[in-house]
Amino acid sequence: MADELPVTNKSEVAPQGEFTREGRYFSPAVDIFGSDNELILLADMPGVSPDQVEIDLQEEVLTILGRITQEAEEKGQGLMTEYQTGNYFRSFRVTDMIDQTKITASMSDGVLKLVMPKAEKAVPRKIPITSE
Amino acid sequence: MVRWRIGRDPLWQEYDRLQKGMNELFHAMSGGTPRSFFDPLWREARIFPLLNVKEMDDSYVVTAEIPGMKTEDLDIKVIGDTLTLKGERKPMEIGEGASYHRRERATGTFQRSLTLPGRVEPDGVKANYKNGILTVTLQKEAKAQPKQISITAE
Repeated sequence: MADELPVTNKSEVAPQGEFTREGRYFSPAVDIFGSDNELILLADMPGVSPDQVEIDLQEEVLTILGRITQEAEEKGQGLMTEYQTGNYFRSFRVTDMIDQTKITASMSDGVLKLVMPKAEKAVPRKIPITSE
Repeated sequence: MVRWRIGRDPLWQEYDRLQKGMNELFHAMSGGTPRSFFDPLWREARIFPLLNVKEMDDSYVVTAEIPGMKTEDLDIKVIGDTLTLKGERKPMEIGEGASYHRRERATGTFQRSLTLPGRVEPDGVKANYKNGILTVTLQKEAKAQPKQISITAE
């Protein structure tokens, strides 16, 4: 039997450099795991549709930005509000050598999956020694 | 099993109002504390998933953020005026030779029941799962719905 899911409050963040569009930003919970040849990142961003994600990797800094689609129907009376909604923002320093051209991203059911293949390591060169 | 009732009772509302006042006072005195212990506990359950509930003219709309679920792992039931959400968020297979650098996304089972302020039509419940958000729309019982009364002019 699996453990019971704990309640985690979303932590609000102030992204570096203000955005032109106002709104709240939360830090998404992430899993990062990897093997010798790739690094995989999963981020929980409920409410973000696949076309509302921006991923950027520049000089070791990986930035994830997810925008929620504002609900048009703000009608109705709120009876209970236990969670807040907002956009998502988080950045990481990636120290592994990543092959930027081979990064793939997919988004399903509010979870972003980023597959970052590691750049081929410099093959150790064998330096022949010639004996005289 | 914990049942959660949405405060509608006038007595509870008054209690809530008082709590809020106390909270603000405490907050002002202490120079701002994160989440004071005066927060009305009956309003916010510490049970996964956190819920937002809205009341429309003819229905209740319950939403929950549960990213990364398969719909077959979600179980939604309505009995009388009580909605029960059950499910399991399963961990992902990371493959052989891989190891975690960070692990923040929680996995496990959950069960939460919510008592709505009024009865709902058992056949008028719709559930939708999109972009990791579960939305359950519960049609109010016919007699609780507002009825438009047309006036006939003579």
